[in-house]
Amino acid sequence: MKFIMHPLLTLSLLGASVSASTGYAHHSAAQFDFMNTVLIEGKVATVRFANPHMHLVLEVADSKGTRDITFEGHSRNNMRRQGLLPDMFTVGDSVTIRIAPMRNGEDGGYVTALRTPQGEEIGRVTAAD
Amino acid sequence: MKRGVFPIRSKTYVAVAFVCYVIMTSMITEKVYARPDFSGAWTVYRPAGGAGRFMGTADQPSYKEVAVKAASDFRTVTEGTNHGAGNSCVGYGMPGSMLGSGGYPMEIIQREDQLFVIYEAHNEIRRIYLGDEIRDPATFFPERNGYSTAFWEGDHLIVETSRLKTQVDSRYPHSAAATIREEYYYGEPTEDGLKVLVAEMVMTDPLWLNEPFETTKRWQEMQDYHVLTYECSEPKWLDEMSELYEEAELEMVQE
Repeated sequence: MKFIMHPLLTLSLLGASVSASTGYAHHSAAQFDFMNTVLIEGKVATVRFANPHMHLVLEVADSKGTRDITFEGHSRNNMRRQGLLPDMFTVGDSVTIRIAPMRNGEDGGYVTALRTPQGEEIGRVTAAD
Repeated sequence: MKRGVFPIRSKTYVAVAFVCYVIMTSMITEKVYARPDFSGAWTVYRPAGGAGRFMGTADQPSYKEVAVKAASDFRTVTEGTNHGAGNSCVGYGMPGSMLGSGGYPMEIIQREDQLFVIYEAHNEIRRIYLGDEIRDPATFFPERNGYSTAFWEGDHLIVETSRLKTQVDSRYPHSAAATIREEYYYGEPTEDGLKVLVAEMVMTDPLWLNEPFETTKRWQEMQDYHVLTYECSEPKWLDEMSELYEEAELEMVQE
């Protein structure tokens, strides 16, 4: 897995700059560290853009080996508002995601933005919606 | 002029003048207080310098011990799980739907006898009845958004909501005894000339609140925005179906 740790300010994947809470989250988001941001590259194994949260499994290769990692993220509606369109990418494509990592250091996290193989960028930096 | 005639005519003139005054006054009043149309798409008001912030009110109610315990118990059993209401595709309910709704847009469709307030998140819909459409709230089962009726006070719309369910999952927990009063009106437009909708809200709950909870919510209009539908429960159902197909060793073709 390719982890690229950046200070929050340097991560302007989209240029979006929302940093406030989006209200009462659909579920507790305490396990995610929204003060930290990580970029991850991987091959899409499963993707479901849904409400209240997207579901994404990436095949990731890093020093720990190659494995599938499950992520959740913003709702389909919020992703759509940020530019998501159907068929922008599909299973097997390599994508880059920006996540709020797990506080306990385990694999996974909350996807706040995504870059498609064509370089299209979707998402915004916020707490869980 | 004959004696006694003038006084009679004078009374008549006074009466006619009074009637005219009343009619003209009512016409003027009607003109001044023409009912506004709140129809349109709205998003959280962002004051100058606050662009991008999606936030509800920072105000918080003052709670009695019984409410604190109920909310704490809920957090105890759900913290760190996926069993929050929203994750089960359950809407926020009042007053959360109106005060926050996750920062999602809302749409108002206004008819003379009913307002439809559609919060994009969870496709949550409030029906606010006016005039002859109003029924006795006591004849309806409690719901998370309650039963809402409204009337106009000049150009302000007064909405009264009762028949609420007890809510411990909300940012604004309340008992089933809670009632909510909202007063909607147009505020000063933004610097960009966008309409601003204001709602002053008071939640009263003799069982859970130490005092009525008062707060104000503002929205600004969204121009050229399509409020989206919010499909939420289908993925969970598809997952259940997928398990059934797997157990039956059959191929599931529906996605």
